[in-house]
Amino acid sequence: MANLLWLQGGACSGNTMSFLNAEEPSACDLVTDFGINVLWHPSLGLELGENLKKMLNGLVSGQIPLDIFVFEGSVVNAPGGTGEWNRFAGRPMKDWVADLAKVAAFTVAVGDCATWGGIPATAPNPSESVGLQFLKRASGGFLGPAYKSKAGLPVINIPGCPAHPDWITQIVVAVATGRGGDLTLDEFGRPKTFFTSFTQTGCTRNMHFAYKVSATEFGQRKGCLFYDLGCRGPMTHSPCNRVLWNRQSSKTRAGMPCMGCTEPEFPFFDLAPGTVFKTQTVMGVPKDMPQGVDKTGYIKLTAAAKAASPAWAEEDIFVV
Amino acid sequence: MDDDKKRENIRALLSDQLKTEVFPRADTADEVNRVVGRLQEVRGDLVRRLIIGGVTAAPVVHGDIDQACETCMYFLVHRRYCELPELDIPVEPNWSCRLWRI
Repeated sequence: MANLLWLQGGACSGNTMSFLNAEEPSACDLVTDFGINVLWHPSLGLELGENLKKMLNGLVSGQIPLDIFVFEGSVVNAPGGTGEWNRFAGRPMKDWVADLAKVAAFTVAVGDCATWGGIPATAPNPSESVGLQFLKRASGGFLGPAYKSKAGLPVINIPGCPAHPDWITQIVVAVATGRGGDLTLDEFGRPKTFFTSFTQTGCTRNMHFAYKVSATEFGQRKGCLFYDLGCRGPMTHSPCNRVLWNRQSSKTRAGMPCMGCTEPEFPFFDLAPGTVFKTQTVMGVPKDMPQGVDKTGYIKLTAAAKAASPAWAEEDIFVV
Repeated sequence: MDDDKKRENIRALLSDQLKTEVFPRADTADEVNRVVGRLQEVRGDLVRRLIIGGVTAAPVVHGDIDQACETCMYFLVHRRYCELPELDIPVEPNWSCRLWRI
């Protein structure tokens, strides 16, 4: 039996909604099949008021073992570093986070806000939000760069806006069943099993990417969304086209550009007008290239690929 | 009017001293948005679209980059057509405009 506690900081509850929609395994499977004891969760917890506070204090003191501490939402430090804007069970949430992270066997950040600060940390960041161990790309965050949970791992970051339901439950199951030591994390604390490949990996529009045929309007079935509509699939690490959403689709398959929500910079360009759903260019060349590609090579490849494109690539075609 | 007739019509306009806004090129996102915004106001007016888009019947080299239609993302190779919704015109591979992007 592994005790799991889930708390929310500066959050919209999107990751909770995602978690509750998990299928492989489902949230119920965690309890019935994998022996996870959900001590408390904002949408599922039964304890209220003093009883909740008593339980939290029991966890902090070590009286109740905390095997998995899941945090959703940013750590709110406003105003002036006090954290008073986000109080919970009688004190600033950030104080609970500090105390609980010290006693947790594993600490898991779910969603962009908990991992890197996310939308709340977008400039000018009025809530003084940070992620658990990162603020955007900078290591540190609330717990500091040296933080390790009692199991010896840094914060396990499961980013996304929201994170895919099964990314959450599969990682929770891994740590609850004693396989946490098998997890390998990238430089941003993301499990490599999910975040090494790109969103583009498995995208059904890859043939249009290859032949440089662009989608120019939403809803077009043909065309790649990278060239004009701001898709970040070629430079975003996520398995969105490997572990499908609702078991059947993804943003790019449905004609919606990837917004890069598993990367620390999300939301990109601080949401400045004209930067969302529009590929940013400098002298007609994309500002952000597919990872590992340089400008000269990109121009040469594009010219050659476009010249070689077959007629069918320009026609309306089912890519779902 | 089919694409070939439209293309010949545009070719005639461009060779008949139609002065289009070839420069400044839309080098930044702000400039792209500004030009596209102006084009959206003249959707039904072909001549105004050609002028604002800076369409030319010859390629333009800008910043050491040959900005010809044939390498542009909006160009449909087999139809010889510019699919940018705000321009939406038949073109030739060696033409150009200031909204070129690769």
